[in-house]
Amino acid sequence: MRKYSPAGHIFLLSLCLSWLLWPALLGARQVVDQLGRRMQIADHPERVIALAPSITEIIFSLHQEHRLVGVTLFSDYPPAARKLPKVGSYVQLDIEKIVSLKPDLCIGIRDGNPIALVRRLESLGIPVYAVNPTDLERVMETVDEIGSLLDSQEQAQRLTAAMHARVQAVKARIAASRSRPRVFFQIGISPIVSAGTHTFINELIQLSGGVNIAAGPVNYPRYTEEEVIRLKPDIIIITSMARGVRFESVKARWLRWKSIPAVRNGRIHLVDSNLVDRPSPRLVDGLEAMARIIHPELFGNPP
Amino acid sequence: MKPAVEVRKLAYRYGRSPVLQDLSFAIGSGAFFIILGPNGSGKTTLMKILAGHLRPQRGNVFILGKNIRGYSRRQLACRMAYLPQLTRLDFPMSVRDLVLMGRSPHLGMLGLETEEDHRLAENAMRYTNVLPLADRRMDQLSGGEQQRVLIARAICQQPQIVLLDEPTAALDLAHQVAVMDLMERLKQEKNITVVMISHDVNLAAMYADRLLLLKDGGILGIGPPCEVLHHQRLEKAYGCPVLVTESPLGGYLRITPVPRRFRKQAPGAPPADP
Amino acid sequence: MSLGRPVIVRRMLLLSIPLLVVLLAAVYLGMSIGSTGVDLRAVARSLAGGLSDDPTLGTIIWQIRFPRALLAALIGATLSLGGLVFQAILRNPLAEPYILGISGGAAIGAISGILLGLSRFPGVSLTSFAGSMATLLVLMLIAGTRSMVQNNRLLLSGVMVNAFCGAVIMFLISITQDSRLHNIIFWMMGDLSLADMHQVTILGITVLPCFLFIFYLAHAMNVLLLGQEMAQSMGFDVRIIVSLLLVVTSLMVSATVSHCGLVGFVGLVIPHLFRLLLGADHRLLVPACLLGGGAYMVLCDILARTLPSHGEMPAGVVTALIGAPLFIYLLKRTER
Repeated sequence: MRKYSPAGHIFLLSLCLSWLLWPALLGARQVVDQLGRRMQIADHPERVIALAPSITEIIFSLHQEHRLVGVTLFSDYPPAARKLPKVGSYVQLDIEKIVSLKPDLCIGIRDGNPIALVRRLESLGIPVYAVNPTDLERVMETVDEIGSLLDSQEQAQRLTAAMHARVQAVKARIAASRSRPRVFFQIGISPIVSAGTHTFINELIQLSGGVNIAAGPVNYPRYTEEEVIRLKPDIIIITSMARGVRFESVKARWLRWKSIPAVRNGRIHLVDSNLVDRPSPRLVDGLEAMARIIHPELFGNPP
Repeated sequence: MKPAVEVRKLAYRYGRSPVLQDLSFAIGSGAFFIILGPNGSGKTTLMKILAGHLRPQRGNVFILGKNIRGYSRRQLACRMAYLPQLTRLDFPMSVRDLVLMGRSPHLGMLGLETEEDHRLAENAMRYTNVLPLADRRMDQLSGGEQQRVLIARAICQQPQIVLLDEPTAALDLAHQVAVMDLMERLKQEKNITVVMISHDVNLAAMYADRLLLLKDGGILGIGPPCEVLHHQRLEKAYGCPVLVTESPLGGYLRITPVPRRFRKQAPGAPPADP
Repeated sequence: MSLGRPVIVRRMLLLSIPLLVVLLAAVYLGMSIGSTGVDLRAVARSLAGGLSDDPTLGTIIWQIRFPRALLAALIGATLSLGGLVFQAILRNPLAEPYILGISGGAAIGAISGILLGLSRFPGVSLTSFAGSMATLLVLMLIAGTRSMVQNNRLLLSGVMVNAFCGAVIMFLISITQDSRLHNIIFWMMGDLSLADMHQVTILGITVLPCFLFIFYLAHAMNVLLLGQEMAQSMGFDVRIIVSLLLVVTSLMVSATVSHCGLVGFVGLVIPHLFRLLLGADHRLLVPACLLGGGAYMVLCDILARTLPSHGEMPAGVVTALIGAPLFIYLLKRTER
């Protein structure tokens, strides 16, 4: 007759549970990225590669740059990032370079990194955590998530709290005013391209108390000069995205059309593109810059 | 002995226009058979049918006693070689390689030639006197030389019948005679049946065993040259006055077309004998 | 009377063996050179017994560089052979593998796949393949099977189809305004960066039977040069041969393009290069184009990866930059 032994059951149970704890024993954990993909990553990633300039910025702002072993081209902020080894551009990653840097974690961005390249990296045993920040809220969530990935929850919390506070400050002052100037935001010179509803630029314009003339389903709609003249924007904002094209010459083109209110009132402004289209903490700087342009009476004159 | 080529009630038309009408004739084995006729008489169409290029629409063609439809392309190629009307073949292929192609019907798909095939090619080139040109490229040869290379290729096929469509058309006098002599040798030494379309009535008169005079897809005359080459028939065929006399070489007829200034009031009446 | 050993087989071996060595050397070089350095000895060690002390380098060599070198070799072989076959059946020295609308159809298919958000493999490669096969079908309907041997009609129809596709492509590009534009442009310039063994194996299985088939018809291609009438009189059914060659070659080229985009220039110049050096016998030209074209592409890909200080050049740019002067030089040298 077999003796009933609870010890036996407990042993079996712990054996089963230990299987679940096995990764933890190895110093690894299960995470789910912003695209809903599950993956196993190290508890304390020491060799991280940022697959987009915005990710680089976030990591630096969390003071975790000591973990960074590689960044993409055009990771130019902060200036210290320029010294890090380059792994190609974020649309054409250099897989060989990435593998040779022996990363234990890559952080990528959905709008930009081709999924095929991400899969390739994963097939070589390199975990890629994908983020997908589509608006300010999600950017702050991304900062938090990266913070928890890189053992820096505290810094992340402080950073997002600060960002949140600044955004609230802008919102509060805007609420006090009734005017909503009509803004034409030009990101392309030839052809003329603006930004639609599902872009950071649109969100910033709205938050800073303006109306985005180009709002609509098309993300980067094209305009002819004639159409812009007809639309009579109160403010024209141009970004420095097109390299080599001088702001003065673009402004001069608009100055020909006196019928545009923005021209008559001298409200044609330049904004650094890196402040308004990179999903990084600097978006808040961009927001404040836009607020000064759109409502100088509330925030002080723009520079 | 079965004739090399036999044609029974052959008819062919391109679309609506009839080109060959109810042709029947036979070509004996080992004969030098020349087809004459003005442009548009259907000579080339006839030759293409004999070569297996076009299917007879009505009637039958027999090659070596067997209906042409019963041959596969390869089998036909082993028995019959064809030199179509050509201007020039200018590409960077060596003479030797081109002549070797004549062995294709006897080889597999990959055309792997043996030493034996190379020997046959050399013999063929020697026969047609193009051996000194063996390693030259086709685009470096004159028209006459190219023609002889193509004949060498035909010989390599080891055919029993050779079909030639106006082989002397673009050649100078010396080469014209060379080609015709070559054909005569082939006929005499190898017993090959030569079927040729010629535009040159006088050459035809000097070499042919039998002539076929075609007009509008029908036979105007068939038989040995002395029987076929009557001035009325020739005038009816070609539509211009001709003078038929004896060749200074003796034994052959010579046909002289008559320019306008020699014609009397009644066109067609032969002038007084010189 | 002995039959003697086929002379041509000897010549084929004398040609193929050195070229095979060159190809293998090129692949070796391709495995050694990359964006992280030159590792000739490491590759040798890895082949001999394994690179146990540096598994990362092993991964780089075998999982990144090796599939890429193989893919380059396959691409070079296929496109060169494709150009050779089209030049033979169309009897036109300007023919190249894309001339019968394949590039236009493949591009439209690929762009559609990219715009629909499909991933490169298998999504976009399938749409690209479907596109090129569709244009081939359209072409055959337009030109008609009879005029497959009346070569100019086929050629002209192909050029027109390509031109129409080109216009559609320009239109599609002009209305694309986001990051997919980037993907489209990379595809159209030829992109080997996503090579992996799985993909390469599939491509290899698809094209190797085509190579063998075309080689089987190499002698027939020689005879085709004499013109339809003479070829037919020597026992070859020209219409069937040309149709088969057309379909098999189009299949082979479409499969390749669907994997790596439009790598240009190789298919035009490599056949001419070897024709200058070896003459017009296709039984020699087929292996030469396969092995030599493959080696050429591997070497060009190495340059494409290493010449720029950042990133890589499109493969087609290097093949043209190197191939054109080389060809002109050879042309002048063999002028007699």
